[in-house]
Amino acid sequence: MTARTQLLDREVGKALSALSAAAKKGLGDPVLAELVMIRASQLNHCAFCLDMHLTLARGNGVDEERLGLLAAWEEAEDLYDGRERAALALTEAMTVLTDGFVSDEVYEGAAKHFADGELAHLIGLITAINGWNRLMVSRRVAPGGYTP
Amino acid sequence: MTTHTDDTKSQDLAAEVPVRLNWSQHAPEVYKAMIRLETAAKRGLDPALYELVKIRASQINHCAFCLDMHTKDALAAGESVERIVQLAAWEESRHFYTEKELAAIELTEAVTVLTDGFVPDEVYAKAAEHFDEPELAQLIAAITTINAWNRFGVTCRMTPGHYTPGGHA
Repeated sequence: MTARTQLLDREVGKALSALSAAAKKGLGDPVLAELVMIRASQLNHCAFCLDMHLTLARGNGVDEERLGLLAAWEEAEDLYDGRERAALALTEAMTVLTDGFVSDEVYEGAAKHFADGELAHLIGLITAINGWNRLMVSRRVAPGGYTP
Repeated sequence: MTTHTDDTKSQDLAAEVPVRLNWSQHAPEVYKAMIRLETAAKRGLDPALYELVKIRASQINHCAFCLDMHTKDALAAGESVERIVQLAAWEESRHFYTEKELAAIELTEAVTVLTDGFVPDEVYAKAAEHFDEPELAQLIAAITTINAWNRFGVTCRMTPGHYTPGGHA
């Protein structure tokens, strides 16, 4: 396994942190934010981010069943409400851009549950976690070291 | 009335689809953070190389708005039409690009398509051969940043065709 750089420009890190913080604040729903960040990290296979956001979700009181079944949320209807499901569908569409566009159905599903301001911040949050996923996977940053 | 840059066949064209959400107005502090990220990520990178990276990522992510912006910016900065056109098939047109550019483009694809796998050692190693460590860290940050712009552009369906080179912050 090739050793990879662990360098991250300080200002790049700060800017992306500012993006995450602004998005999370504007969304105003810490539990939903963690579910979204975990789902994106699953799709992008980011071990570091999964470790971090699973820890944060548990800290926010999300139960193990909801965390464990998140990768199959579509088939676990009772565990996630309509708003969460709309956000998760948007997360998946926005994370897998290379396979297509964000469909009207998915976008409108989210727009039904989130006001414009909330939606803009949700989109910001999904973008931010996708950014962290890229920085961590590319540099193969090891999971397990995260403490809240 | 057409708002396209190229209006020679305007009467045959489909209608322009309206933008879904003016995200930067609804989340100004998110937009501000994106500008900050962009400014930080491009430091130390060759601007011509960065345009190629931005175009390739925007192609893979299907971001029309970003393609409009970055192809126009690349052309305005003196990039050739041929190199822009061939970029979508760079593997078959390697002789249009330097080995360093090819390594950056390959890394761009790997970092952009994370959902199909990881960033392979082979791709990473090739990039590390051509870029010193701080430059490689910036390249990774730059690929991450264009991926972020692509997500806003595609999700909010930002409208392509209206960009004037040099028009972004």
